Amino acid sequence: MSLTQAQAPKAARARRLDPAPVLLGAVIFVVAWQALVWIGGYEPWLLPGPLVVGQRFVDAWLDGTIAPHATATLLEIVLGFTVGAGLALLVGMLLARSHFAERLLSPYLVAAQATPILAIAPLIALWFGTGLLSKVLICALIVFFPVAIATMVGIRSVDKRLVEMARAFRATRSQLVRQVEIPAALPAILGGMRVGVTLAVIGAIIGEWAGGERGLGVLINLARGSLFDTPLLFATLATIALIGIVLYLVVVAVERRMVGARG
Amino acid sequence: MGEGRAARPGRARAERRLTRRRGARRPWPACRRPTPDRAPVRLHAPARRPARPETGDRPLASIDVADLARSFPTATGTPLVALDGVAFRVPERQVVAIVGPNGCGKSTLLRLVGGLLPVDRGTVSLDGTPVVGPDPRVGFVFQESRLMPWRDAVANVAFPLELAGRSASERLARARELLALVGLAEFAGARPHQLSGGMRQRVAIARALALEPSVLLLDEPFSALDALTRERFGVELLRIWQETATTILIVTHSVSEAIFLADRVLVLSPRPGQVVADIPVNLPRPRRLSMLDTAVVSVTAAAIRANLAGAADEPAPEEAWGLQPALAASRGRDPLEGVGVPAWFDPFGREGGA
Amino acid sequence: MSIRKEVTLSLVSRRPAGLFAAGLVAVLVAGLVAACGSGSTASPTVGAPTPLRVGLGYIPSVQFAQFYLADQAGYYREAGLEVTFENKSDPDLVTLVGQGVVDIGIADGTSLIPAVSQGIPVRYVATIYADFPSIVFAKASSGITGPADLKGRKLGIPGKYGSSWIMLQALLASVGLTPADLELVEFPKYGQDVAVREGVVDAATGFVNNEPVQLELSGEKVVVLTVDAITPLPGPGLITGEATLAGPKKAALKAFVAATLRAMKEIAADPLKGWDAAVAVVPELASDRETQLAVLNATVDAWQSSYTDANGWGAVDEGAWTESIDFMSGLPDSPVAKPVTVDQLVSKELLP
Repeated sequence: MSLTQAQAPKAARARRLDPAPVLLGAVIFVVAWQALVWIGGYEPWLLPGPLVVGQRFVDAWLDGTIAPHATATLLEIVLGFTVGAGLALLVGMLLARSHFAERLLSPYLVAAQATPILAIAPLIALWFGTGLLSKVLICALIVFFPVAIATMVGIRSVDKRLVEMARAFRATRSQLVRQVEIPAALPAILGGMRVGVTLAVIGAIIGEWAGGERGLGVLINLARGSLFDTPLLFATLATIALIGIVLYLVVVAVERRMVGARG
Repeated sequence: MGEGRAARPGRARAERRLTRRRGARRPWPACRRPTPDRAPVRLHAPARRPARPETGDRPLASIDVADLARSFPTATGTPLVALDGVAFRVPERQVVAIVGPNGCGKSTLLRLVGGLLPVDRGTVSLDGTPVVGPDPRVGFVFQESRLMPWRDAVANVAFPLELAGRSASERLARARELLALVGLAEFAGARPHQLSGGMRQRVAIARALALEPSVLLLDEPFSALDALTRERFGVELLRIWQETATTILIVTHSVSEAIFLADRVLVLSPRPGQVVADIPVNLPRPRRLSMLDTAVVSVTAAAIRANLAGAADEPAPEEAWGLQPALAASRGRDPLEGVGVPAWFDPFGREGGA
Repeated sequence: MSIRKEVTLSLVSRRPAGLFAAGLVAVLVAGLVAACGSGSTASPTVGAPTPLRVGLGYIPSVQFAQFYLADQAGYYREAGLEVTFENKSDPDLVTLVGQGVVDIGIADGTSLIPAVSQGIPVRYVATIYADFPSIVFAKASSGITGPADLKGRKLGIPGKYGSSWIMLQALLASVGLTPADLELVEFPKYGQDVAVREGVVDAATGFVNNEPVQLELSGEKVVVLTVDAITPLPGPGLITGEATLAGPKKAALKAFVAATLRAMKEIAADPLKGWDAAVAVVPELASDRETQLAVLNATVDAWQSSYTDANGWGAVDEGAWTESIDFMSGLPDSPVAKPVTVDQLVSKELLP
């Protein structure tokens, strides 16, 4: 969570941008991984080393094994996140505004979140087919809760004194929402979106497991269940992890830009 | 020129009163108060004032509060009566301070005047027209600066203009002008967290002035500031008042602050709040911090304190205003005993050779 | 074997991908633990029963009646075995058997070929399903009577992988077609029977002892297209790890195979014996006796072919394996990574 401190002083920011710790961490991780493979004497089909996985990763990207699946998954994630987070923003604001709405809806929201998405995904695939729609829905569903709750909490905790100030300057209802409440709740909302975007990755994979022709989830199934190609499985996981990290960083970058330093 | 006035406070006061009375009956801007120390900066377009209706036998006042009452529901079911039967008038261009013990409804009163709270009973009128909600003729300055942390200073000042639908270029020009007025021209791009408490409060005043209000309502605007900043700020506020065409109603905790700023000090009783005293401050304008050490101030402070007697708590520390000797004296037998002028008393160097 | 494609990707954590590293560490630790575990199981005491970990399919089912019967009737105990059943999905089981964590288990022949080609040291030691259970089925009213009739039709599949996908390609290749000549519809988690019943698709892939049986019980006339006569793909059978096979448990494994085959013969003679054994393990089956008995009967049918009739129960048809290796190696996007031979895949050492 060191990335969340928007108000961190400049020195801390410089430290964050320093690539050395990231590189060091990566080196330690890879070395430890390779050491484990050597010491344990694991075969590649059981636990491939980083070199084997790296080689498979490069090969699979170059020969076009991963690329079409990665593109499909990325599309699902982006669409699902957009739909889910967009709806969550609206519902979150409704929940923040109306205790009645909160009492009416929150049991279902919590229930939907507590129900394993793994169990719901096949049903969604049955009802909406195994195309893009069902995956977008699953992504949206899994993204919805954290963003809606973050929005609700964010808007509820907007400084009432700021709201009174805006009222004193005769802000209309919509001006209040757009100019005060959303900007003030933005750090919280974007915090929810950080969680949401990583969940969206999982949602897409689970959606693909529930059926589908393309996607990294399908590739996992293929690599593991059909090809017994463990290095490819790891290369796919690495791709998924990279997508997750990149999307997370995108949200963080958006957050920096929109929220910036606040007192 | 300023020294001359300071040397003959009585006459200056008489002149000013005369001007003000005349002004009250004349159409604005003839009523504009002369600002002898510096050339007036015309920030307000006179045409924006609403037409004033004739009020018959009642003299026209900028703020007219009659029989105001307001209570709040409580958990126990017995409503808490904050104010009951408050009435006062503030003529145009006057500065009136409201003092009173904690919880006497000072802030509630200010919100009722500004239309931020509905009244239970009574009326509030500005320039003869009633206040029914947040009012464009009012500029509000709160206890805390209440700046939006995600906006820089100029965007905070422009906020009311934005809400009012002014064009971007007009907003920017006006906000820059106002920041210059409060002495923060170079800080236009600064975020609130980069500004000191006093600077933030000055931005808040600039914001309150954005829509050219005829009335400025200030709710303990100094309470979050440190001692030295507070007194500088009082001087600064009066300068801004001189350069704008505003009537000021200020809630404060501090008797000395009230005396320094105001033409009249209204003392509120403990709950339910009522105006128990309306004490004129016979100090000439422009005010100088050195005046705080005169006998007039001590006597006025004593009068206010007498009316505050029995209040649950004492007003804010007086050290901030350098009033300690004078006030100590006012409590004792001889009000003039121990009067002195601290060396750091005139931060703006306006005391000249005094 | 209708539960083959249960997806349990234990390697893939359901965590944010950002925590991949943590997930990987967990996998590594699990691998170490597994490696230690396998070492300690390999030292049976003389005289005491030999413990055997036996991997069955993911969901306990009437299709494993022979194992339940052999256990309940004491055939394993008589052979000096102490058997523990474990329900694993196919990919998990192949890996676990390769590691030696599970001593012996039932897995699909077609998945063994890619597994061995990736270096997983497992061997197919006895045939359970002599007929390839993965089939294409359709309502008789669809007019489909052979693979050629599938051209241009809507066909439901679970996905383009696994035994059904290989079977489909073999079936179509026999009449000069490829999957591109069909309209393929993917159904998640075995929605194919419903899809065929409701007419959403003209035909679908399924298992000879599952969807067609259920469809017939609902009163439909059903057509089943099998691949056995075209490419004799190896169906599910018993697999064991190379190291296990060469280790001290070899005799115990041989006894296990014999006891299992004995139970299979008994069930073939009297399916109700198998039914009772299955109900004893999975009491829920009793609530749907008609269907489950029909499934069991279809399963028993699939245990036997002309080859096993001639060469005995459990016999491994090496010629069919060779044919299958060649076929799968020649497929576009072949799942066979490196060339493999029958000798690397099959061992007859445990057969009676």
